[in-house]
Amino acid sequence: MPSRYGPYGGAFVPETLVPALEELERTWKAARRDAGFRRELSRYSRSLGGRPTPLYFAERLSRRAGGAQIWLKREDLVHGGAHKFNNALGQGLLARRMGKPRLIAETGAGQHGVATAMIGAALGLRTEIYMGEVDMERQRPNVLRMRLLGAEVHPVTSGQRTLKDAINAALRDWISNVRTTHYLLGSAVGPHPFPAIVADFQSVIGREIAREAACLWGRPPDLAVACVGGGSNAIGTFHPLLRTRTELLGVEAGGPRGHPTGAASLARGRPGILHGTYSYVLQDRDGEIRDTASISAGLDYAGVGPEHAFLKDSGRARYVAVHDEDALRAFRWLSEDEGIIPALEPSHAIFAAVREARRRPASHRIVVTLSGRGDKDLEVVGRAVGA
Amino acid sequence: MVDRARKGRYTSLAITARDAGATHLELGFPFSDPIADGPILQEAADRALRHGTHWDDLRSAVRDTSTVLPTIVMSYANPLWTRGLARSLANLKEAGAAGLIVPDLSLEESPPWRRAARRAGLDLTLLAAPGSPLARIDALARASRGFLYLVSRYGTTGGGEISRSADLAPLVRSAHAAAPELPVYVGFGIRDRRTALRAMASGADGVIVASALESALARRPSTATVPRVLGPIASAVRTGGT
Repeated sequence: MPSRYGPYGGAFVPETLVPALEELERTWKAARRDAGFRRELSRYSRSLGGRPTPLYFAERLSRRAGGAQIWLKREDLVHGGAHKFNNALGQGLLARRMGKPRLIAETGAGQHGVATAMIGAALGLRTEIYMGEVDMERQRPNVLRMRLLGAEVHPVTSGQRTLKDAINAALRDWISNVRTTHYLLGSAVGPHPFPAIVADFQSVIGREIAREAACLWGRPPDLAVACVGGGSNAIGTFHPLLRTRTELLGVEAGGPRGHPTGAASLARGRPGILHGTYSYVLQDRDGEIRDTASISAGLDYAGVGPEHAFLKDSGRARYVAVHDEDALRAFRWLSEDEGIIPALEPSHAIFAAVREARRRPASHRIVVTLSGRGDKDLEVVGRAVGA
Repeated sequence: MVDRARKGRYTSLAITARDAGATHLELGFPFSDPIADGPILQEAADRALRHGTHWDDLRSAVRDTSTVLPTIVMSYANPLWTRGLARSLANLKEAGAAGLIVPDLSLEESPPWRRAARRAGLDLTLLAAPGSPLARIDALARASRGFLYLVSRYGTTGGGEISRSADLAPLVRSAHAAAPELPVYVGFGIRDRRTALRAMASGADGVIVASALESALARRPSTATVPRVLGPIASAVRTGGT
């Protein structure tokens, strides 16, 4: 597994963390070769996580689009309601293998925090979650879930009080407690080896898509679409499809219409170093990280995983930004057409998929990774649509 | 910390620091996401950014202080990288800086930075930490210029107890053996005579004080604050070093 993706990636971290990152890489490499570890991962995935998840033909949504077929990869059905389980489980097992009794994690929308809290409970590891105060307010149900699962939730009051600041706080905790604590980073960002590990554990999404596509159609999908904040569900979707002819489309949060950047690091940022990795970053002329805006807490981040930066530059994947207003429209389409209430994060991907479907023939198959369910967003959406 | 609100006062602050016994001055450039810093320096950076502090403020501060004391710039990687490494470092050299500390630059990522610093004529100082294996300490000491920055403990900058002298001593010995000419300075949590003595007892050649001075200056922004904080530490370094 590479520490660089073209020029991107690397490990820009204080020296205190280097031995822990090296230990993590060693442990992970050994675990991948260990049949016992793989068996345990797949047993928990199946019997605790509910994997594999189905591919669902969204017939009425496809009809609304009027063009290509839209299929949903149902990661919203994974235990906890999001794809975050896949990585939390994998890293939780690595933490146990390293003998670290304490997990910490950052969370934006709270989905990764919930997944980490579940895994912490299931594996008997003490769990503490850092979450920006703004996000705690807008994703309240998930805060309650984390606490019920036995995790301690620390409000982060610095900076913009969202995901970026939660990562800062978690990194600072890790610097202080690195000997006893594993930082269970939830997205495909951060210093090496995190982007590679997260992509590895999330690649189960793309592998299942490829397998089911082969059964159903005898070939991979024409287009795969996934939302990108840090980019973990997208990289998990894309990875196993990289060597196929499937077009790849990542969908960032454009924020409210008129906002200069939203949270679209790839579309509107430039290369820089944030949270230990070299990738696209929303920053000002002096290299200070800019404030972001998005209706979805999970996409509201000024950076993005380094492999996405590489896929963008190489042209293997395309990236577009979708505004809050359009994500909300897609949220309602999926709810009303299919009876599935999506999280706000993949609602961005749904909107982009519908737009793509319109331009394509009925024979084309588009797979959208529905990375999470929307229960956590009911308040935000209710307020936005005045329901 | 460089802060636009301090404009015009850097020279006098540097003079008082020198008179209190400081041999070098570290000037921090504020960054929005300083992951190695505790609350004091985080708040100082936030304040400086709110005051509209920019790169040019750093250059003019360096110009002011470098006539008084050799000035080392502390900056996170991104502000230096974003305007082009060669250009940033040339800027700093031209302003009179002697060296550079980048707290989120690991040994592995450092080669292009070390080349750029050498070309610009700046000393790039690397950081070592209590958990660094001795072989790594040696590599860090050999790659570091100016001095080796030994982080006193597991943690961020500012408050908290520093490691025992006996735990730091092997690291200092190892660095001295690998790079006999290179001084080792201990930083993070050095705030008074006691912590300075403890750091010096490890065999270190000096200490670095940032948060303690920054928080004292935030409370009482007069030049009289500087000797009050630095005086006892400087005397501890003189006695502890002999």
